[in-house]
Amino acid sequence: MIDEKLRRPMQAALMLLLVTCVASLLIGAGDVGVWRSLMVLFRAEDADAAFTVWSLRLPRTLVGLAVGMALAISGALLQAISRNPLAEPGLLGVSAGSALAVAIMLSLGASMMELRVGMAQLGALLGCACVLSVTRLRGVGNDPIRLVLAGAAFSSLLAALTSLLLLMDQRAADEIRFWVVGSLAGRRVDDLLAVLPSMALAGLVLLALVRPLSSLALGERASAGLGHHPGRLRLLAVIIVALLVGGATAIAGPIAFVGLVVPFLARSLCGPDLRRTLWLCLPLGPLLVLLADILSRCLVAPSELPLGVLTAICGAPVLIAVVRARRLPTLS
Amino acid sequence: MLSKRNLFCTLGVLAGVALGSSAAMARSLDTAFGEVEVNDDPQRVVTLYEGALDASLAAGVTPLGAIATRGGQQVANYLRDQVPDIQMVGLAGETNLEAVVALSPDLILASPRLPEAQYALLSQVAPTVVPPSSGFSPDAWRDEALLFGEALGREPQINEALAAVDQRAEELKARINAEGQAPSTHLVRWMPQGPLVMSTKLFSTGMLSAAGFAVEDSGLVADQRPHSDPLSLEALPEIEGDWLFLATLNEDGQEALETASQSEAFRRLDVVQRDQVVAVDGQLWTSASGPLAAQAVLDDIETAVESNATQ
Repeated sequence: MIDEKLRRPMQAALMLLLVTCVASLLIGAGDVGVWRSLMVLFRAEDADAAFTVWSLRLPRTLVGLAVGMALAISGALLQAISRNPLAEPGLLGVSAGSALAVAIMLSLGASMMELRVGMAQLGALLGCACVLSVTRLRGVGNDPIRLVLAGAAFSSLLAALTSLLLLMDQRAADEIRFWVVGSLAGRRVDDLLAVLPSMALAGLVLLALVRPLSSLALGERASAGLGHHPGRLRLLAVIIVALLVGGATAIAGPIAFVGLVVPFLARSLCGPDLRRTLWLCLPLGPLLVLLADILSRCLVAPSELPLGVLTAICGAPVLIAVVRARRLPTLS
Repeated sequence: MLSKRNLFCTLGVLAGVALGSSAAMARSLDTAFGEVEVNDDPQRVVTLYEGALDASLAAGVTPLGAIATRGGQQVANYLRDQVPDIQMVGLAGETNLEAVVALSPDLILASPRLPEAQYALLSQVAPTVVPPSSGFSPDAWRDEALLFGEALGREPQINEALAAVDQRAEELKARINAEGQAPSTHLVRWMPQGPLVMSTKLFSTGMLSAAGFAVEDSGLVADQRPHSDPLSLEALPEIEGDWLFLATLNEDGQEALETASQSEAFRRLDVVQRDQVVAVDGQLWTSASGPLAAQAVLDDIETAVESNATQ
């Protein structure tokens, strides 16, 4: 599966990711500095530092890994099925759906700590389902452009409903305000375990789908001519995206830009073939998320910046650099 | 600086004084928007500020309408029993002007942060009293209460209420400082991603100081901000102290404590392990102000100190 064209960027990305993971364990907003953390890694007796490293920084690093992979893969998938290099998980009503679901639960009196995971995923699926049901009308589903348009329209609708709920219920507004910007702070391994099964399931299904999906890049007819069912493929891919984005959103809140910029970067490093892009997204997604998270802890210590803001700040220059450096990498 | 508009206002007020003095218009007050003339014995009062509702009740006047407390649909918990029939005329910072008009008030008491555009509308409905804003200061609520009392024509009652608060705070202080040093404490509001450290210049932190606590903000709160940015969980030891007062935006302090206790970083704090954390009503502690709120805050402090002594 790993061919020549993929090997070198993959190796570099994995190395960088490893370094970033270690840095993520060593750097923080509190009193426990790099040196003390390093000593902890070598089993020094230091209860406070050990707690900070293993109970605060390790969980958020793991969550960052999962969220980064999920968002990057979803972005690559969406761009493949919509054949639109600017498609994004925010596009198909996925993020908006999970935000709405969480807002509904909050205003019904649920507390932020519980319920979040299942509801966000369910909301993501419902958001996708709405979009798909529109596209099923009169064969609209075969047209990627209309899929994108329907997604944009539904996203706005769902976002408007969320705003309405938040305006009516101040308590929900106060609690959700911090969730809506996205963050890895204070996440527990339990949160991660709750979404891991569905993410793993999505990953397994995806493995079986990669080859047929990459044929979509040749266009509807070519894909059908190769014996695939574009409509069915697209449906499955959207469900995978809903599971991944719903899971990621549930633990970290909506995190902008990763799903857009990482596949873009991957394509520019190893070419447009989906079979390579998806693999390269696996290390690149977490790399961006973790780098942004480390920055978020350092910039305003002892407070932290919202991660969602930082992924955008980190991601935008990358995107601009790629676009300026060469011809726009296309999907086909 | 005397702008043209101010000049017109002054002229207008002078003209009003000259022309209208024959009616029941008895007193004129110094407010944030210049001099305002109020009726001698206002009967239909609407309060658009939690501190104003509190001061009115302390002065023995039950307003017809009020705004809901922040984060709620009702007036704050500690006042709810005293005003069973009060009309809600909006949420915090969001007045329903039609509901105000429907009550045909003869006096409106508003927040020092009332925007001028709102004032322009409200002052056409009834004389509107807006206390001059002095930024965050732990004693601002006293001046506000005095002004509202004056507007209601009930200065003696307000002075009495303020004196009662002072006396009670002194008594508590004597007890709490009996062993010499003032115990250190922070007031924090627990948010899902970490605590906000509240400024030492707020109403409730002011009451804590008056009751003999050494309230700290660990240098985290910028000048003229009500609280710090959410603290990283790694930096939680910053809120270590002899005591910790813990609230949320909501009324249920106990719930805040439970949420916070789910975080291991919080459970590790020395002050938590010594069980010196006091869960308090966030509506009362971080939103309300006034003589009755002061008494309620002192109640909470007294209960906390007493239950600690019996342990």
